[in-house]
Amino acid sequence: MIERKNPTIIRFLSYLITLIIILTIVVVFLSMLNDNPFNVIISIGEGAFGSFARTYRTLLIFVPIALSCAALSVTFRSGMWNIGIEGQIILGAIGASMIARSIIGESQLSPLVSLSAGVLFGAIWGLISGILRTTSNVHEIFAGLGLNFVGAGLVIYLIIGPWKRIGVASTSGTDIFPQTAWLPDIGNGLPLPALLIVGVLYLFLYGIFRWSVFGTILKAMGSNPDAAPRYYINADKYIIYSFGLAGAIAGLAGGIQAISFYHKLVPSISGGFGFLGILIVLASSQKLHTSLIVSFLFSGMISAGPLLQIEYDIHSSVPWLLQAFVIAAWVFISYSSLHIKSAYFIRGLTNKFTTNLLGLIK
Amino acid sequence: MMLENSVATIISLSCPLILMVIGETISERVGVINLSMEGSVMLAAMLGFAVSVITGSVLLGFICALLCGSTISAIIALFDVKFGMNQIVVGFILSMICINLSNFLGQSYVNIPGPRIPSINFGIMNEIPFLGKIIFSQNILVIFSFLSIFISWFFLFRTSAGLLLRSIGENPEAAKIRGVNVNFYRFLYVTVGGAFIGLGGAAFSLHAKYGWSDSHTANFGWIALAIVIFGGWNPMRASIGALAFGALQIIAMRLQDVFIELAQVLPLIPFPTMIIMLILFNRIGSSSGNWIPSTIKNSIIGLQPSALGRSIKR
Repeated sequence: MIERKNPTIIRFLSYLITLIIILTIVVVFLSMLNDNPFNVIISIGEGAFGSFARTYRTLLIFVPIALSCAALSVTFRSGMWNIGIEGQIILGAIGASMIARSIIGESQLSPLVSLSAGVLFGAIWGLISGILRTTSNVHEIFAGLGLNFVGAGLVIYLIIGPWKRIGVASTSGTDIFPQTAWLPDIGNGLPLPALLIVGVLYLFLYGIFRWSVFGTILKAMGSNPDAAPRYYINADKYIIYSFGLAGAIAGLAGGIQAISFYHKLVPSISGGFGFLGILIVLASSQKLHTSLIVSFLFSGMISAGPLLQIEYDIHSSVPWLLQAFVIAAWVFISYSSLHIKSAYFIRGLTNKFTTNLLGLIK
Repeated sequence: MMLENSVATIISLSCPLILMVIGETISERVGVINLSMEGSVMLAAMLGFAVSVITGSVLLGFICALLCGSTISAIIALFDVKFGMNQIVVGFILSMICINLSNFLGQSYVNIPGPRIPSINFGIMNEIPFLGKIIFSQNILVIFSFLSIFISWFFLFRTSAGLLLRSIGENPEAAKIRGVNVNFYRFLYVTVGGAFIGLGGAAFSLHAKYGWSDSHTANFGWIALAIVIFGGWNPMRASIGALAFGALQIIAMRLQDVFIELAQVLPLIPFPTMIIMLILFNRIGSSSGNWIPSTIKNSIIGLQPSALGRSIKR
């Protein structure tokens, strides 16, 4: 299918229309909860960025979401459904915790080593999905789902088994890692290293998608899987590569979750961010900058959740529900190209209007 | 006595999973992956419980859950056949919406008592040794779920309507050329499958895992998805998988005090099993499995519907 590029004005209008529809949904949704939806929006802003501690938390939530979006944009580009991302995040966290708990955890190099271990573990988990898909024709959704739960089982086993806190066998998590194993904050205390990782990774991916052969082949495979063999592209190889890369990035997200957010291994280490990432990447149609912006907004919403709960007596599932609704509307709009159609419609109307006006003047 | 009780509990506990597995099997046989199952089960469980608490009638709760399940599946089918949207995208988003929606709507029903499904009295049948205990001590829901295993199997593999259903899942384009209203049947059977899934949800909150709490049926939707594959898209085999899972749960519960690690991990066994089964299907089905006698081969293998997960080409 040849994608026809729309004129700039149409693209601008269509963005505007999407934004207006989504904002309307948000306002309508919030007005069902509270008489004044704008107060709630202000509270979300306050809860996310109102103080230094809140901004810090928001940024820490933003990092894993942005990383899982990055991971997913690789696999979605090659037309694969990496539903196993939750498992890859979990495995990354296990890898990082393993180093942080070991003797290395007490040295200054520990964060670097444990993040590398996270990357490695995540990549292995991703590669399993890819290899199962290519060699045994196991649909990546089923493989990914299975691996998610195997990962979840593993983490629970570790927490109540070999890595349990001394004297207590509970699912509340392992012992807190030694301070040296934490991902350090630089300067005034914002999680700069983690943000730096996100920034560098996004630039790297942008470069790969834009200029490298690898990125082009991924895109070609994703847009037309049947055509790949005709151009002598070994699709299986690239599927495995893309799963490996995605798993590595997801593992990084998991490692950061473990050594910079919780500072220990907990059963819900992935926090549902993997599935949230799938939603975001679906809606942003794999555009990196869009998913970065959306994950920033969503992390603010999640971070503001506790404040909303206290201030308006809103259930903790509300931010997630709102996000899911927004994404659903967005995906529907972009699949049915409602925004493009209505942009053309509006342009037609204005054209007609101006010609009539000119006729009148004449 | 101990064994009788255990078997009776397993049968009783597996009933929601059996219903869900049957629903998903029907839906996948016609070519639609209902990935919304995790969410729709949860929402149906919540609605079923809430309605029966409000009205005091268990029957109304079940009807509501059934409608909920079939509506969600109908949305997937509608987007699939009408707009050609990816089933997996729609199912996944619906799943996420429904999980959060059920937690949000169900917040005032957490941990409150409500009506229960009444058990029926079979009179003298209860006195039959062993069978009396494990079959005739159950309530009508469990008996319905068991009957529906056989009915759905018979429908899928022994009637012409079932053949039509399977053919749409294998090659919808060919069926369309033969003059079958493919879109209508896809819509119909996915909705019917969704009704079973909805019933399964209510079977949780009104019977097997009584009541409602936050994320009450968490993971059971994904587990059912795994069991469908374990069953090779055959309701009979999938139900055996569901029963085996029920047995695993009981074992895990009994082991809780002794082997705490094992008890937590055992319920996750369906997932690796699913992957191994899929590999096995592929290995045995391909030419490398030719040395296996065909009778054994046919009993192991499960053929994935060829058109599973893809929209019908226009």
